Amino acid sequence: MARIELVNLRKEFGALAAVKDINVTIEDGEFVVFVGPSGCGKTTTLRMIAGFEDPTAGEVRIDGRVVNDFEPKDRGLGMVFQSHALFPHKTVAQNIEFGLRMKKVPPDERRRRVLEVAEMVRLTRLLDQMPAQCSGGESQRVALARTLVTNPSTFLLDEPLSSLDAKLRRELRAECDRLHQALKKTFIYVTHDQEEAMTLADRIVVMRAGVIEQIGSPMQIYSYPVNSFVADFFGSPSMNLLAGEVVHEAGARRFRGFGLSVRLPDRFNGVPAGPITLGIRPEHVDAVPAGDGADPDVELPVRLVEPLGKDTLLYFDVGMERPFVTVSEGIAMAELESGAKLGLTLARDQICLFAADGRRIGSA
Amino acid sequence: MTKSQKNRIATIARYSILTVWALIVAFPLYWMVSTSFKPGEQWFAWPAVYIPDPWTLTNYLDVWTGRQELATSQYIISAQRPWIALGNSALIAFSATTLAVLYGGVIAYGVSRYRMLSEVRMFQLLMLRMIPPIVVVAPLSLYYSALGLLDTWIGLVLIYFLTSLPYAVWMLKSFIDEVPREVEQAAEILGAPRWRTLLEVVLPLVRSGLVATFLFILILTWSEYLLALLLAKTEVVTLPIELSKYQGSTEGRVYGRQAALSVGITIPLIIIGVIIRKHLARGFSFGMIRR
Repeated sequence: MARIELVNLRKEFGALAAVKDINVTIEDGEFVVFVGPSGCGKTTTLRMIAGFEDPTAGEVRIDGRVVNDFEPKDRGLGMVFQSHALFPHKTVAQNIEFGLRMKKVPPDERRRRVLEVAEMVRLTRLLDQMPAQCSGGESQRVALARTLVTNPSTFLLDEPLSSLDAKLRRELRAECDRLHQALKKTFIYVTHDQEEAMTLADRIVVMRAGVIEQIGSPMQIYSYPVNSFVADFFGSPSMNLLAGEVVHEAGARRFRGFGLSVRLPDRFNGVPAGPITLGIRPEHVDAVPAGDGADPDVELPVRLVEPLGKDTLLYFDVGMERPFVTVSEGIAMAELESGAKLGLTLARDQICLFAADGRRIGSA
Repeated sequence: MTKSQKNRIATIARYSILTVWALIVAFPLYWMVSTSFKPGEQWFAWPAVYIPDPWTLTNYLDVWTGRQELATSQYIISAQRPWIALGNSALIAFSATTLAVLYGGVIAYGVSRYRMLSEVRMFQLLMLRMIPPIVVVAPLSLYYSALGLLDTWIGLVLIYFLTSLPYAVWMLKSFIDEVPREVEQAAEILGAPRWRTLLEVVLPLVRSGLVATFLFILILTWSEYLLALLLAKTEVVTLPIELSKYQGSTEGRVYGRQAALSVGITIPLIIIGVIIRKHLARGFSFGMIRR
């Protein structure tokens, strides 16, 4: 059992405030992912939960008890580090056994539990090896096993997969998920990878510059980002953001910018005229060859075609720093020549509008 | 010229320079060893005798057993003196080195983990070593005389400990810096108390560094001359001082015996070096811990 509350938690390193008064409650058994670009304070937050950093202000509570003054070992937590942090001079078995020895578990039981955990993460065959002989993925599983065996109430994972290659990452991601479901323990996971966050989390905490931008389920975050930063951070390829303006025209509101003129749905009727940013995800733009009889929002020449197998990405030049991206299913568009004109239509109900300060406007 | 030709010339040049350098470095050692086996008349012979003819152990017997076969000087060697000096040297060098490594290790850990000393302070610590000993030895001998430390082995241990401490701190800090903080934290969160983390995680990982530092400081203190000469020398005689007595206005120049004694001084260090060479190779090649 572990319910973790962060109350007005703040951490300053000299003049720099790494974490600025954050408040989150992590329920027992929940899988929460802290995500954000590097330097956003997510690792510092995790280290404050673990007890490796003393908060400048605020409280860390575990099951209602303030643990600010508790040593890391007295908090009942387990932590997996980004660097794996295995003991290089101990065998895999000795690494796993370490926590049990510290807790004065008798040798017989120690051996039994090491074997049990090794079985669980498929390490049995490596027990006598030294960490230096283990591959990156194996090292990570040893680190996981070493934490598992002590049976902590909460698992803290600090970018555990960032040093591995893409395929292994997917595998170990699935393993983390499986462990969480089997153990029903609280998991707090830190990553800068939005895909990891999306696939693993019950709830995502998006951080930027020491502040929480949004807390929500993966689908909430993806579909209803509170601001353009969150919208941009999640999704691959990320959301198209077009700077333009809202004009009032014949009782309706239209968005104008980059050769685009789109009538906005009625839910944006309260939006005043003026500069604005329109956001639309690549999968919510319909691209068809120009002159197909339809009446697209805009016709643009395609600049780059990127077939991914399952989907094809199309890049258009709209005079912004970043290209406008659309995704079309399958490989129907894969043979398209660069420069071919396509008609693009934005799915009206999926349009997001962001104010000048990045805040999203209007309800969904 | 093709690239492979260039490479070959570069290799030849590199090896030639290194060979010449190795010869320059090794020659005094060779001369010491060969002189120690030369009979008296070949010590000064010109043209120089490079290979002793005949080989003789007289020098060794004279120095280390006090036997007097060849009366090349009026100076009679006492059988005990070199052995007493060896004992003094061993006691003083090992005590001072052990103290320096232990105490230096504690400071280095504090500096590495808790930034106990600022970078400026660390540099000032090293600067201490850059003061020529001769500058401080006069005031020091006054202190020593007042404290009754002149000509005592404790006095020498103390000064060797203090003068080698900066080296110990600097070397050990670099080894401790190599141990990732996260490895210690992993032990901590797994329930290890501070002392067990130090004993079970940090110590084994810096062991090679400790050994390398130990040997480095041991060599310095083992062969120290100036301080031993000015702060001790009558009651407490160390090997380098003993060695100097074979060449003076009263004793004449007994090169052969001096060389025999020199070999005796050098051998213990070589033996220690060979025993711990595994650690030395690792200790002196950093980056041993996989991150």
